[in-house]
Amino acid sequence: MSKPVLQIQKLSKTYMLGKRPVNALTDLNLQVNQGEFVAIMGPSGSGKTTLLNVIGCIDKATTGQVLLDGIDVSQMAENQLYKIRRDKMGFIFQTFNLLPYLNARENVELPMEGKIKSKSERKKRASELLAMVGLSGRENHRPQRLSAGEQQRVAIARALANDPAIILADEPTGNLDTKNKHEIIKVLAHLNLARGTTIIMVTHDSQAANHTERMLLLKDGRIVKEKEGLHLAKKNHKCPHCGSSITLKDDMCPSCKMPLYASEEIFPS
Amino acid sequence: MAIMISIPAGVMANQQTANELANNLSDTINQTGQSINETLIQIDCSLASDFAGFGFRPPDSSSFTPGQGGFVPGQGSNGGEIPPNFDPSQFGGGVMPGRFGGGSFGGGEANPMNESLYTDINSIDGVAAVAPMLQVSEGQNVTREFMDRSFTILVPDYVIQGIPLTSELIDKYSILPSNITAGRNLNAGETGVVVLSQNNSAFFDAGIGDSITILNQTFTVVGIHGGTGVSDQTSLYMNLNDAQTVTNNTGYITSLRVFTDSSDVVSQVANDIGELHSELTVSTGQERLTQLQQIQSTYDAVLENAQASVNSTQMVALEEIIVVVAATSLIVLFVMLYTVRERTKEIGTLKAIGFSNATVMGQFMLEGVLLSVIAGVVGIVIGTVAAPTLSSLLLPSVNLFSGSTGGFVMRGAGATTTVASVSLELILLAFGAALLLGAIGSLYPAWRAAKIRPAEAMKYE
Repeated sequence: MSKPVLQIQKLSKTYMLGKRPVNALTDLNLQVNQGEFVAIMGPSGSGKTTLLNVIGCIDKATTGQVLLDGIDVSQMAENQLYKIRRDKMGFIFQTFNLLPYLNARENVELPMEGKIKSKSERKKRASELLAMVGLSGRENHRPQRLSAGEQQRVAIARALANDPAIILADEPTGNLDTKNKHEIIKVLAHLNLARGTTIIMVTHDSQAANHTERMLLLKDGRIVKEKEGLHLAKKNHKCPHCGSSITLKDDMCPSCKMPLYASEEIFPS
Repeated sequence: MAIMISIPAGVMANQQTANELANNLSDTINQTGQSINETLIQIDCSLASDFAGFGFRPPDSSSFTPGQGGFVPGQGSNGGEIPPNFDPSQFGGGVMPGRFGGGSFGGGEANPMNESLYTDINSIDGVAAVAPMLQVSEGQNVTREFMDRSFTILVPDYVIQGIPLTSELIDKYSILPSNITAGRNLNAGETGVVVLSQNNSAFFDAGIGDSITILNQTFTVVGIHGGTGVSDQTSLYMNLNDAQTVTNNTGYITSLRVFTDSSDVVSQVANDIGELHSELTVSTGQERLTQLQQIQSTYDAVLENAQASVNSTQMVALEEIIVVVAATSLIVLFVMLYTVRERTKEIGTLKAIGFSNATVMGQFMLEGVLLSVIAGVVGIVIGTVAAPTLSSLLLPSVNLFSGSTGGFVMRGAGATTTVASVSLELILLAFGAALLLGAIGSLYPAWRAAKIRPAEAMKYE
């Protein structure tokens, strides 16, 4: 049984909206194990982003406990938290958030700067990560010369820079067209399958969420529903459509010919 | 910002010029003070030169041009013979055609006087000595247009000063050039020798011991005088007899300097001279003293002004520096605040992916300092190129002092050309200032950047 990488107990978060307190999260419990690919869904204002911010150590819980890799981060000071973010977390943003004046490789190198001293090592590692997301040969391109999908892949490589315990993705497909959306979901699923990277993804998009292994529905600051996704079967090398045996390299089921990753066929729009 | 850094260059030049001006004025005032003491027992008598005189018709003159007014052109050294018995005083002013007419406007060269007509002054009670003098300008005639009329004026190359070289006079009274800078002064009874001014020395291209030709006669240079006033700068001194011979003025002089027994009898003697020779313009030491005192008080006022100007320039300089420092810091501040605001999302991203507050702050400080250093370098380049123009724009008040006051030219005051030069020291100063101001100006924006919450990275455009 894989060990828990994230444990949240009785987490509450209260904002002050003027003089009125707003409960963004209420007594929330959640455990994510290592190697899981989880989607957090919910309508606007349900607390998705607040939850992601608290997990990502960029916001603090009002009450409750957040354990990351066994470390209690809920009461840590900022001068400790930045190290947790750097070493344990990888962020993927809806708007990619690449630095426009740095090329793809330099963007990927950024999080390593405080951690890996050797410049050549950083360079080598960044190139490897870019190759992993399918961007070898594009290392020296600036963000403006890359397509939206390519930019998001650079952002994924950047999130992997320091080998984080968890990748947090905030609407990673929100700014992408259908084709690129499928590409990114595929890259994330591959990362999860091939490297065992834990991914927590916040999304509005039920089709994207359907390709994770576990879907959580958040409503009024509570997890109200939990559901299995298509990804779970793939982890067991089974086709989620017909149940026949598949391998990691397959893009479609060898027997039923259904696509195994997000595609237009299974998500008719 | 570049321009602002170049302003202190102009300010510094401004101060320097004002200081120089003040020093020059003090020198002039000291010299004026000396003249006042020497002048106490003097009475100067001459026939007034009257540029505005009309109706003067000189005998035997073929060169007179009617309708040219009083300022009749001089004819240089070869024209206008003066008949030996001609007494111009009977014509009541006016200007002789001939070389006497060609004085400079400011100089007020006197008309020739028949020396023999004034021997009676010697016998007036209280007169200790009488020094007859001859002053003749030599130079080129130049035609100038003025109000639709053409005038020929003499632009003097040099002024011959004939001094009576009797031992009685030169031992007791200061009639010789006082400021000998090379060689020696004239001796009693000496002929065929001259003392040149520095300007003369350059004009004749001659030094001590050299022979020069003045109006076809040869003289030996025995000394160089430094001059005590601007009119003196073109004067060469020689024996009165030599001067009269060489300028064809035997028996003629242009002024009489009367020395009295004491300063108490000066006004009485002046009255007596006036009664004896009503045609003479008589000015006593007392009158000259009053004049000089007026000039001195003018100088004092000017000096006071100059010092006030120095003080106010220093104040202005200080104010300017404060303004420049404040403005530069504020510009850096606002530029950096704007930058931080523009890049909130980028900063949020950096913090979300693991940059510490200190790193972010350092990054923005560095950026602010770099920005202002680049601007500083541009400013130094512009400042170096523009400083001369800029300083002349900043210094109109100082230039007002140039020129002459009452015939006395303030030496040095107007001659100081104000050119702000940009020194290495100033460049280093500007560079250091840019560094410091960049750091000060970006301190707060950098702090603001560090305080940006990483959650800002999540916000959409």
